[in-house]
Amino acid sequence: MSRGPAFRAAGPHVLEADGIRVAFGGRPVLTDIYLRVQTGQVVGLLGRNGSGKSTLLQAVFGARCVADASVRVNGRRAVPAFRTPGLLNYLPQAPLLPPGVSLRQAARLLRVDWAQATASFPELRAQLEARPGELSGGTARLLHMLLLLHADTAFSLFDEPFTGIMPVHLETLGAEMQRARQRKGLLLTDHRHAEVLPLCDVVYLLHQGRLLKLGANPGPELRDHGYLAA
Amino acid sequence: MTPLATRLRAVLLFYRGVAPFTLGISALIVLAVLVPALREGRARGLLPMLLLLKLATGPAVWYLAEQLRPQQYWFYYNLGVSRGRLWAGVAVLDGLLFLGTAAAATALAA
Repeated sequence: MSRGPAFRAAGPHVLEADGIRVAFGGRPVLTDIYLRVQTGQVVGLLGRNGSGKSTLLQAVFGARCVADASVRVNGRRAVPAFRTPGLLNYLPQAPLLPPGVSLRQAARLLRVDWAQATASFPELRAQLEARPGELSGGTARLLHMLLLLHADTAFSLFDEPFTGIMPVHLETLGAEMQRARQRKGLLLTDHRHAEVLPLCDVVYLLHQGRLLKLGANPGPELRDHGYLAA
Repeated sequence: MTPLATRLRAVLLFYRGVAPFTLGISALIVLAVLVPALREGRARGLLPMLLLLKLATGPAVWYLAEQLRPQQYWFYYNLGVSRGRLWAGVAVLDGLLFLGTAAAATALAA
């Protein structure tokens, strides 16, 4: 898939989002947001249940329409971001593939080299013809994650990517993500902080509607804000 | 595959997913309206009314799809295709298929 004008310049790409304000039933969920991801970074987004992590990712992706939201790539507005070819992709908490779409079809449409995507998981290569519902939840999650990780986009957003994936695969997946960040920026949210934190260059905590950028050692701050047990 | 080809393919895949609803409604319209009209020899000039009837059922198909498969859009978003474009594609494809079938049936019966 060809890339838009924003991607022709050399050098790392920078994805920024701000002005995202969301309220549910009068309760403000997202109020004070500034988020930045750049090529070569793995950025973690943590927060308690219901803090708005998924909402924020969907707003950045463009699937959730938010008035006054500003999403910029290299300083240029990109709203809705998913409409810009080659800019970003998004793994939702829900299954990625609609009923009836096989992994082979998905890989072809996403222009992903299946052999390359599953190089670290040779036991999964035979699943190419599998359709949604024919795989275990963890295997499907891993394969969907690999599809998006290996797709040619400048950024990938992952919502709970580790859900259901067995530990032996998690380690390999972490290594895959480290390789992928050489060519793209990754933004992920997942409650498995023990797996997330070692991967991340930058960690944000979504707390009471505000996005807090944490320091190099985020543990104490996560405890102070009630995300981890004291 | 070019971006345009990818998007067209995405619309076709999406149409395949909602086709059971849309084709079912088309079949009902044909059986309940067109076939009796053909039997009674009053099918001439019926196509605009059939198309209006088909368009009127669009919201019901959309509602059913939203209720039964609310999460079906994520893959298409990842291909750069919005919900609006998917449904616009469905409207065009399904409308053409329906009109073509109805016109062919009318011509054959004439």
